[in-house]
Amino acid sequence: MFQIYLPIAELSVNLLVMLGLGAAVGFLSGMFGVGGGFLLTPFLMFSGIPPSIAVATGANQIVATSVSGAMAQWRRGNIDFRMGSVLIVGGVAGALIGVALLKILREAGQAGLIISLTYVVLLGVIGGLMLNESIGAIRRARAGKPASGRKPGQHNWIHGMPLKLRFPRSRLYISAIPPLVIGWVVGLLTAFLGVGGGFIMVPALIYLLRMPTNVVIGTSTFQIIFVTAVVTVLQATFNHSLDVVLALILAAGGVIGGQFGVRAGQKFRAEQLRAMLALMVLAVALRLLFDLVLKPSELYSLSPLLAGA
Amino acid sequence: MQAALALALLFATLGVGPVAAADPAPTPREEVVSDISTREISIQSNFNGIEILIFGSVDFSGAAVPGKDIYDVVVVLRSPDQAVVARRKERMAGIWVNGIGKIYPTVPGFYAVLSSRPLRAITSDETLKTLGIGLNNIDFGRVTKSGPDEETFRSTVIRLKEQQQLFQEHDDGVAFVGRSLFRASVDLPVNVPIGRYTADVYLFRDGQVVSKNQSTLEVTQAGLDRAIYLMAFNRPLLYGLVAVLLAVLAGLAGWAAFRRE
Repeated sequence: MFQIYLPIAELSVNLLVMLGLGAAVGFLSGMFGVGGGFLLTPFLMFSGIPPSIAVATGANQIVATSVSGAMAQWRRGNIDFRMGSVLIVGGVAGALIGVALLKILREAGQAGLIISLTYVVLLGVIGGLMLNESIGAIRRARAGKPASGRKPGQHNWIHGMPLKLRFPRSRLYISAIPPLVIGWVVGLLTAFLGVGGGFIMVPALIYLLRMPTNVVIGTSTFQIIFVTAVVTVLQATFNHSLDVVLALILAAGGVIGGQFGVRAGQKFRAEQLRAMLALMVLAVALRLLFDLVLKPSELYSLSPLLAGA
Repeated sequence: MQAALALALLFATLGVGPVAAADPAPTPREEVVSDISTREISIQSNFNGIEILIFGSVDFSGAAVPGKDIYDVVVVLRSPDQAVVARRKERMAGIWVNGIGKIYPTVPGFYAVLSSRPLRAITSDETLKTLGIGLNNIDFGRVTKSGPDEETFRSTVIRLKEQQQLFQEHDDGVAFVGRSLFRASVDLPVNVPIGRYTADVYLFRDGQVVSKNQSTLEVTQAGLDRAIYLMAFNRPLLYGLVAVLLAVLAGLAGWAAFRRE
C-alpha cells in the first residue's frame, strides 16, 4: 500500500514514510529556525536512498523551503540583495567544484563514505559547540545572570582587505573577498552534502562580517535559493542523481511540517531550543559514525558501472 | 513438358521444392514450441512485481510417440546484460571503506532458470556450461584484475543477485501437464530491470538438446515515470531546470497557503 516508485533512485518507497520524513524535518526546521538540509540528507541515507541521490534531491527540496522562507523575509525588508548577490557568486563557484568532486568520488565508489565522513566531522563540531554554548546559557539563566550579548562595533582583520564595496542595507563598507569566500565554502557544502548551509552562513555573517542580525537570516535564505537551484541543475546535468518525484514529496511534507514547527518552537526558550537541536545534531553524527565504524552485516555491494569509471 | 518446367521454376523461386526433395529429414525429430503469457510488461508507479507464465508443448508430429517421462524441459528467462561493479568493504583506520571494485561487463540484469528436474540430472556440466544454463554457468565477461579471490567475488555477485530475486534457479519450476504440455511460472520482482527479455526453452532427451525455441518479452517503464526517466538522462539540463521551477512553485504555494498577514 502507498508504495511509490522513484524513477531515478530506481527503488520503491512508502509514500507516507517519505511525506512523514519531509514533515518531520520541516517541523524541526520550523521549530529551530534552521533549513533542515543537514538533517534531511542523513535521514534519507538512513532510509536507504543512495547517498549521491539523497544529496542532489535534498538540494532540490531546499529550493522549495527557502523560497517560502525568503518570501516572508522579503516582505519584512530583511534581505540585503547586494550582499546576497556577492554570496551567490562565491556559492556558484563552490557548487561547481563540489559537483565535480562528487562525480569523481561516485565513479570511484567512495561518494557515500566521504559524504558520511564530512557529515560526521561537521555535525560533530557544530553540535558540540552548540551544546556547550547552550548549556552555558541555560546555567546562566538559572543563576539569574543576564545573557551575555556580543560586543558590537569592533573592527577585525577583515576590514583591512581590498576590493571594498558598500552594502547600504547592512550598513557595511567592507571588502568583497570575505563574503565571496564564505559563499564559496557554503556552495561547496551545498553540492557535497545537500544542505542549504545556513548553519555556517548565519554565524559567519554575524561574527565575521558583523552584519546586523535582522538582515542575516533573510539574506542567507535568499542566497540559499539560488545556490541550491544551481546545485540542483548541476547535479541533474552531471551526476543524473536528482529524483524529482522524491524531492516534491519531501517538499510537500516539509512545507506543512514547517508550519507546525514554528508554533511548537514558540513554547520553548531560545537556549533550550538550541540545546535540543545540538543533541539532535550530535545524535545524527553518532549514528553516521557507527555506520562507518561497526562491521557491516554485508561486506559486499553491487552497483551499476558508471560511465567513465 | 512445359508444365513440368514451369513447376520446377516455381519451386526454384520459392526455394523449397528441390531442397525438400533432395534432403528429406533423416530421422523425424520432436520439436518444442513455447510462448509467454504476456508480450509486454509496463512498469508504472504502482508496480509491485508480477508473475508471468512461460508455457509450451512438445510436438511429436515427426517422431514416434515416445515412452513416458523421457523428456526434460529447461527454461531460461534473461534480461539484457549490464556492466556492474562488485566491491568489498575493508577496514581502514577503524572505518569500513569500499575496496577497489571488480568490474563484470556482462551480468544479466535478470536471470531465471527453471527446469523439470535438477539441472545435473538432466545433462552434463559441460553441456550446461556450453549453453550458459544455470547460475554458475553465466558468462559475466572478462573480469578486470582477476585475483585469488575471484571465485569468492563471482559467487558473491550471484548471492547478492539472488537476494534481490534478480537471479533465480528452480529445480522443479517446469511442470508437465500430461505428456506434451508444460508450464513454468516466474516471479518478476519489483526491481526488475527494463529491456527486451528472452525466454529460451530447451527440450532435452537423453542429456542432449533436441529442440530449442525462443520467445521475447518487452519490459518497459510507462507513464510519468518513463517520461521522467527519459528526460533525466536525455535532457538533463531541462530536467534540472524543471525540477527547480517545480520547487519554486511548491515554495510559493506553501508561503501563500500559510502566510499570516
